[in-house]
Amino acid sequence: MVKTETQIEEEIRAIFSGDTPWVTIVWDDPVNLMTYVTYVLMELFGYSKAKAHELMMKVHTEGKAVVSTGSREEMEHDVARLHEYGLWATLQRGDQAL
Amino acid sequence: MKSEGFRRHGSNSYIAEFAENEREILINLTEQIIELLAERIDHGHEDPLAAMVGITTHDSPPEDEVLHRLLPNAYQDQADSAEFRRYTESTLRNKKQAHAMAMRMYLKSAEDGVIDLDHDGANAWLGAVNDIRLALGVRLNVQERSQDDLELLAPDDPLRGVYIVYGWLGWLQEGLIAALMDDN
Repeated sequence: MVKTETQIEEEIRAIFSGDTPWVTIVWDDPVNLMTYVTYVLMELFGYSKAKAHELMMKVHTEGKAVVSTGSREEMEHDVARLHEYGLWATLQRGDQAL
Repeated sequence: MKSEGFRRHGSNSYIAEFAENEREILINLTEQIIELLAERIDHGHEDPLAAMVGITTHDSPPEDEVLHRLLPNAYQDQADSAEFRRYTESTLRNKKQAHAMAMRMYLKSAEDGVIDLDHDGANAWLGAVNDIRLALGVRLNVQERSQDDLELLAPDDPLRGVYIVYGWLGWLQEGLIAALMDDN
């Protein structure tokens, strides 16, 4: 798709103003134990057991969940750490359809 | 299988005792993962300086299904994913290998079968055991097969043994996590 000038300008503005956050998504996986996903979210993000459990349940029931939000670099770092512990994670712009 | 799994002792000690055959199975599995994660060989196309800082020339996902699960794409977009892989895959391989090597060292030095992990050691074990389970999971095709299918594998099916080890590792991992989360 060819982008109009206005679209390009908007994108550039969004990049520089930093108002388009990126998100890290964890996807459901039949191998990873539910308790393991919870534990990894607690360890890597410092989430409480309750919050980590809630995110894990969302992954389990809905197939995916946003587990962190921030700049692209921060999300790349988060995805790399999640991959290190075997969770199935990707990052994308927060305004893209999940 | 005889081990009773990991138990918490004090504030930073997680202990399990393994029978000799259990210890041998675990050592064998860690060695397979370490070997599997060894760098892809690019027949001299590698820029030595780039390789030194962890940049590789390959940006496509590994063709092997198991490796692909261990080193997954970071983006759904192929081009972004390829770029990310070029700069990070080598580091990810090294980190995963380090987990498996730490687990192997614990096992190798525990001739009496007693493993005593601190918090960091426990995290390395969890990461390594999880990678082994992911690898076995691909071989067992757990993505497509139901638990019932797997339970009903015939005794002479070569996957039967794989499934038993896969289940045992899950149980072991579950116990270690329970011990770690004891105080939370």
